[in-house]
Amino acid sequence: MYKKKLTTTALALTVASSMFLTACGGSSTEEKASTEKKPAAKTDEPVTLTFWDENAGPARTPVWEEVIKRFEAKYPNITVEYVGIPNASAKSKYDAAIAAEDTPDVGSMQTTWLPEFSIRGALKPLDSYYKKSEVSKKLNEGAINVNKEITQDKKLYGIPYAQNLDALWIRSDWFEQAGVKEPKTWDDFFTDIEKLRDPAQNRYGFTIRGGAGASFTIQRAMFAYSGLDYFDKNGKTNINDPKHVEFVEKYFSYYDKWTPKSDITNGYKEMTAAFDTGVVAMVHHNPGSYGEHSKALPAGTYKMIPLPTTDKGQYVAEGGNAVNLGMFKSTKHPDEAWKFIEFVNSADAQSYWNEQTGQIPTNKDVLDDDWVQNAQHIKVAFEVYNNPKTKIYMPPFYLPDYRSILDTIVDPGVQSVMSGKMTAKEFLDQWAKAIEDSKAKYDKTFSKK
Amino acid sequence: MLFNNKKVDKLLTMYLPITFMLCFTIFPLYWTVNTAFKPEGDIIKRPLQYLPAHPTIDNFVNAWTNIGFATFFKNSAIVGVTAVIVVLVCSTLSGYALARYQFKGKRAFMLMLLCTQFIPRAMMIIPLFIIFKNLGLISSPLSLIITYSAVEIPFTTILMSGFIANVPKELEEAAMIDGCNKLQSLRHVVFPLLLPGIVATGVFTFIYTWNEFLIALMLTNKQDKFTLPVGLSSMMGEFNVNYGALAAGSVIALIPAILLFAYAQKHLVNGMGGAVKG
Repeated sequence: MYKKKLTTTALALTVASSMFLTACGGSSTEEKASTEKKPAAKTDEPVTLTFWDENAGPARTPVWEEVIKRFEAKYPNITVEYVGIPNASAKSKYDAAIAAEDTPDVGSMQTTWLPEFSIRGALKPLDSYYKKSEVSKKLNEGAINVNKEITQDKKLYGIPYAQNLDALWIRSDWFEQAGVKEPKTWDDFFTDIEKLRDPAQNRYGFTIRGGAGASFTIQRAMFAYSGLDYFDKNGKTNINDPKHVEFVEKYFSYYDKWTPKSDITNGYKEMTAAFDTGVVAMVHHNPGSYGEHSKALPAGTYKMIPLPTTDKGQYVAEGGNAVNLGMFKSTKHPDEAWKFIEFVNSADAQSYWNEQTGQIPTNKDVLDDDWVQNAQHIKVAFEVYNNPKTKIYMPPFYLPDYRSILDTIVDPGVQSVMSGKMTAKEFLDQWAKAIEDSKAKYDKTFSKK
Repeated sequence: MLFNNKKVDKLLTMYLPITFMLCFTIFPLYWTVNTAFKPEGDIIKRPLQYLPAHPTIDNFVNAWTNIGFATFFKNSAIVGVTAVIVVLVCSTLSGYALARYQFKGKRAFMLMLLCTQFIPRAMMIIPLFIIFKNLGLISSPLSLIITYSAVEIPFTTILMSGFIANVPKELEEAAMIDGCNKLQSLRHVVFPLLLPGIVATGVFTFIYTWNEFLIALMLTNKQDKFTLPVGLSSMMGEFNVNYGALAAGSVIALIPAILLFAYAQKHLVNGMGGAVKG
């Protein structure tokens, strides 16, 4: 009995394994052929571009697929192969690909990655393509200049196709019911948090981001409060300036008293869920979460307002808060890759992409589109960017370990302050030291004076 | 007095802790299934719905057909089943050698096998990427099969050697006296007794390959070669989560694991017993 069973099993396993191995073998040959270096294609020869999206998901993937469809209809000889990478792992995926020199032709990337990728020699400078292109007359010059300024050689490595702006999403219906005015200053903001607390209904005035991504939120909030530059005239960082210490102390003192206890592990999803399920009245995010709010809350019960102003009445925004398309040096089809970058930045494509994803277009021609005029949150963002008094501060994106400082020092530091293991001053001193050490290393490497 | 009553005693010491544990482990599963059958609008609606008010299979249809779970499922199955076969063959044979033969450096070899388990997976990513790129195997299921087999074989070899050591050597010797050669005695005497161990090892390997995310993400650059965990993660954008499809995809991904455990449960318990007897 056992013998028969064993023989049958062995036969089945052998057949199955040979089938699988044959299947795998076939595909590996196919892969090998596709990864071999091809000669550059001549005009109208069929070309396949690989495009990596650094923030794939249900909201963006279908939008990219539609943009690609439109591009392929315009350029029938070019096929774009879309690869969606989950946001949380995107940087690691790019890092591995750059190290192994197996990068895509075009990639979507955050501004903070541009300096590092360019120093590592992974990206192709786009200055000459950009100068000759029509889109150079249309794109937001400020965003383009930021991308140049942050790289070590001051070249343009990424074309920004969408911008973002930190803001407050508020439950306007609750504000109205409670007779509370929308916060214009940071003092209003803190007072409103207290006024909107309603233990009977388990409602809080605000939710603090204490988990993944907390560093971005606290950085943008404290600079919006102080209106300071990232570095002072002597090149010393203002991170641990007394104004920031004062703000961080007050901000986190609201935790577990005026904001939910669970805030200490709040990432984006937890934070928006608290807002969308009617637990908190205000959340600090950006226009990107509009899609989530609109699905969960009835129209007219929520809106986006700018972050409160400094005591001088100034709006503050972080420079370089954009997503870009970059061309990788390894591409065998730079002209076709540029055509794709140029197409995505055309008014039509940017209008479609940004409308669907709730981001702010960088192409000026899109501003007149009906959807921009009718989208409250986009209009607010434009008002802030177009306000002549708005101060733009520039974080040192060019430091290769800027992002890792935020992820490994600032994110856990926020939790330490929230849990009372560290004071605001100690936290900011530690953060400032990390930035200054990194800057000193950078200046020494590139002999900056 | 209270504890003299056997029924109450049993209730307090057995049924109550088991029920508590069951609730604790079943709740996330229940919530996933509950979410999978809800229409998008009902998922984050307050008050929470503990049973779907408008049950639908749209999320499953969407996940399977539009999002590509059919492809992800196929890819995971190819990688999982093949890796299990490779791991079982290699670890049974090498486990036999470790259990039955004495050779120079055996202890050092065992130690080396154990040491391979201490290397963080993330550290292997870039070297693996470079190796498979040079072999032309990026985005091929073979790269995952090779990696998963290489990662699992050391541990499963130790596991199998424990199982084999529990099979009395005398049985093999008796078979050989009856005319079997070494391989025949292995096939007819040792393997049938090893079945619980083989099932346990196979199940552990399959679950690892089925759930593994990081290596699968890094070594796959084509959407149609993604495995289930990578496909599932693409349901979560930075600012948007498709909870319905995510839950439906998770249920789809859970089915083989649950069926496998249900089928292998008996062997698994026996197998683990065999492994710890030593």
